Amino acid sequence: MNSQLSPRSIEFYWNGRRMEAREGDSVAAALRRNGILAIARSRKLHRPLGHSGSYIAGVLARVNGRPNVRLDQEPCRPGMRVAMQNVWPSARFDLLAAAQLLPARWVYGGFEHSRWTPSGGRAYAVWERLMANLAGMGTPPDASLPAAARPARRFKVEVLVIGGGVAGRRAANAAAAAGRKVALVTRGETPGRFSAALGFTLEPLNEAIGVFCGMELFGCYREGTLLVAAPHRHDEGAVAFDVDEIVIATGRRSMPPLVPGNHVPGVMDAHAALELAAGHGVMPGDAVAVVGTGAEKLVAERLQGFGASVVHVGAIADLRRIIGRRCVRAIDVGRTVRCDAVVHAGPWRADPNLLFQIAAEGLFQLVVDDTPRRVSVVGAAAEEDEPIHVPATLSPDTLVCPCMDVTAGELLSHIDAGETDPEVLKRLTSCGMGPCQGYPCWESMLAILAARTGRPPGEFRRPSHRPPRRSITVAQAAGLCGVVEPDR
Amino acid sequence: MSRPLPNRASVVIVGGGIQGLCCAFYLTTFGVRDIVVLDAGYWQGGASGRNGTLIRPGFASFEWTQLFQLSCDEWSKLSRKLGENIMFTQRGYTMVAEQASTADMLKEAAEVHRQCGVDSFLVPDGQLKTLLPAINHKRVVAALHLPTGGFAPHHAAMKGLLAACRRRGVDVRYRTAVTAFERTADRVSAVYVGDHRIDADTVVIAAGPHNGAMAELIGVALDGYSMRIEAMALEPTRPLIGPAIALIDSLAYFHQTSRGEVVGGTEVPERPRMSLRTDVPVMASMAKIYLEMFPQLAEVRILRHWAGMLHISSDFAPLLGPHPALRDLWFSAGWSYGFAGGPGGGLLLAKAIATGEIDARMKPFALDRFERGQPIAEAGIVLAKN
Repeated sequence: MNSQLSPRSIEFYWNGRRMEAREGDSVAAALRRNGILAIARSRKLHRPLGHSGSYIAGVLARVNGRPNVRLDQEPCRPGMRVAMQNVWPSARFDLLAAAQLLPARWVYGGFEHSRWTPSGGRAYAVWERLMANLAGMGTPPDASLPAAARPARRFKVEVLVIGGGVAGRRAANAAAAAGRKVALVTRGETPGRFSAALGFTLEPLNEAIGVFCGMELFGCYREGTLLVAAPHRHDEGAVAFDVDEIVIATGRRSMPPLVPGNHVPGVMDAHAALELAAGHGVMPGDAVAVVGTGAEKLVAERLQGFGASVVHVGAIADLRRIIGRRCVRAIDVGRTVRCDAVVHAGPWRADPNLLFQIAAEGLFQLVVDDTPRRVSVVGAAAEEDEPIHVPATLSPDTLVCPCMDVTAGELLSHIDAGETDPEVLKRLTSCGMGPCQGYPCWESMLAILAARTGRPPGEFRRPSHRPPRRSITVAQAAGLCGVVEPDR
Repeated sequence: MSRPLPNRASVVIVGGGIQGLCCAFYLTTFGVRDIVVLDAGYWQGGASGRNGTLIRPGFASFEWTQLFQLSCDEWSKLSRKLGENIMFTQRGYTMVAEQASTADMLKEAAEVHRQCGVDSFLVPDGQLKTLLPAINHKRVVAALHLPTGGFAPHHAAMKGLLAACRRRGVDVRYRTAVTAFERTADRVSAVYVGDHRIDADTVVIAAGPHNGAMAELIGVALDGYSMRIEAMALEPTRPLIGPAIALIDSLAYFHQTSRGEVVGGTEVPERPRMSLRTDVPVMASMAKIYLEMFPQLAEVRILRHWAGMLHISSDFAPLLGPHPALRDLWFSAGWSYGFAGGPGGGLLLAKAIATGEIDARMKPFALDRFERGQPIAEAGIVLAKN
């Protein structure tokens, strides 16, 4: 592990242990710098999860008394106390880890469907109490934390650009040059981190553009005329935008491979790996395998440029399994390649959430209709989604939704019983009902559904994408009161 | 759908939500066979899969209390009756007053409960801390606690009901829209799914927000209108809130599920509409209510926020019973507490259809109560009376 500490190092605590980080690190980067890969536990079977770029549950931990803080978006600060959640009695001696020994089949649909303890009896009351104390990931926030609404702001803009990469900047600059009032919202602390890490030249943003960094634009309301973003920082308020035109430049992300071990700490998408390497000088591992659908060479070269040691570059279709329980030990690509990190660079797919929110309508099910003309999609987000490779012999142990412990086996058990409605599969399995709220898990679910039934993926209506996907706290949302009036 | 639809049925139920499935299940317990349930949407796609899942046995009026007392009692027996675990969690239900006038209403409700035999008590000041340690005590003027109330997750309840119905031979079809009805001068005689005709001895309409559209298709009048309400779920944490809670003055209801998510909803004054899209003000209002009543939730994140639709009657009470204009046409409509009332409503409706006997607890909810000048006054519900 690369651990050149700069003189400006800071101290923080992980599970009570003192650690050093570099100023400017995210907590996720700081942990990796210290060799900590397993950050969280999955919901039911307590599988170790880490910073994957794909699954949010892997980067959720308790920070200074606040539960479920996203460590990849949380800057590491001096004295910060970070602790693993969903462990009992402690992270170092976690009895709940024994749940990993349970057969996956036992938790299909969750523990709650147990027929041993039907409701209406005393046994159920005891069982439910126990279940509630084991579920729920973290404990509630400390009672001592301040509880005040974070006042929101509201802006009126002609063009709102979402995403600060090459295409987003170009669109924002073009609109600003045409004299229009433009705002740009981006997740990164600086716009265009991924583009920069890939080596693309970023044009500077016109100074007239209002730039909102470190924010998640999570909600498109009122046919896409009212958009709301919330800052990653919990102590700042949300922002509502009244918008004439929307430019979606949110890019695409790599979908996790559908092979056993895809959830193991050390498996990462290209975004997360390059952000760690370029932004923090932290490598995904000491021996990195890069797989993908064509971009693997470029990503491997970039990682090498930042100092990573790449031991394998190959097609995603050749990857059969990822070996290791608590961390990656090797991959099987027809032969065993020893490595401690797997970076996937494709298949690339755009997050459908915002477009869905804008364009979906229906009284029985929200279904995407035509995209309104006021909305344009540019850059990688506009490119066609790549198909997800479903292995001919899909292992039932492959995780589809690691946050909720939903395996391919669980999905297949329902599909093979004749249930092919994605909305129903979601409700039967909880697939996509965790912190990621359906991306990337529903992409994988739909790919498996199509492969198993032999029907084209486009035939299946996707489950409803809903705001705000944990992007906003109760205190931030309360700050929107009075800022956005009810539509009478 | 692989199997063809039947050509005839003893009962066709339009709507496969909790009303339709409960009615179908209880019909089978009365020996009725050849039941068909048709639903235009997907399983749990309507209000039965979108509500707050709160269940309580008592309200402020005798009419509501007697119906929901029966329903709550059925909920507690349902796992055994269905042979499925519907996870009715009796952690209790607390009605909270934040204003003195509402506290008076709770006192009256407690008296109604005493007379009906519903277990409830006004929470003494000292006991509030034990019952709801995390609540902002300064905001609570009075609280009425119903220990036998609670909640049941829709995924378990609807799964249990559907499985039991299918096991008992009920033909339940989703994504199967009823497109027309056939009627003679005095009765409804058949239901159409496209070109397919299903001859029916009895037709039950339990279509939630689409009840009005179904009544229009049949050509009969039906009281009420449809509207959207919204709810949201917070990211799960270990237990913070014990019982289910209704804030009568803040117009909010919520509970913490067995999975740890705090799920609840409120209303804002907006024009009624049919839509499954959400809007910002409900999320903001609900968050403000959480912040004020459970300040510890301030830093908890909002996982998802959704909308559902209801059919609301003029007095907010269910419309339960035969349609006065046509024979063999029944309605289970106008539910705003439909999840809680499902088993009770289903049982009474099934009994009436199977035996012809209209139970005393169902009579007040007859469809023609407005023409008779007998609407039901209920003060203990969380619903904007705009």
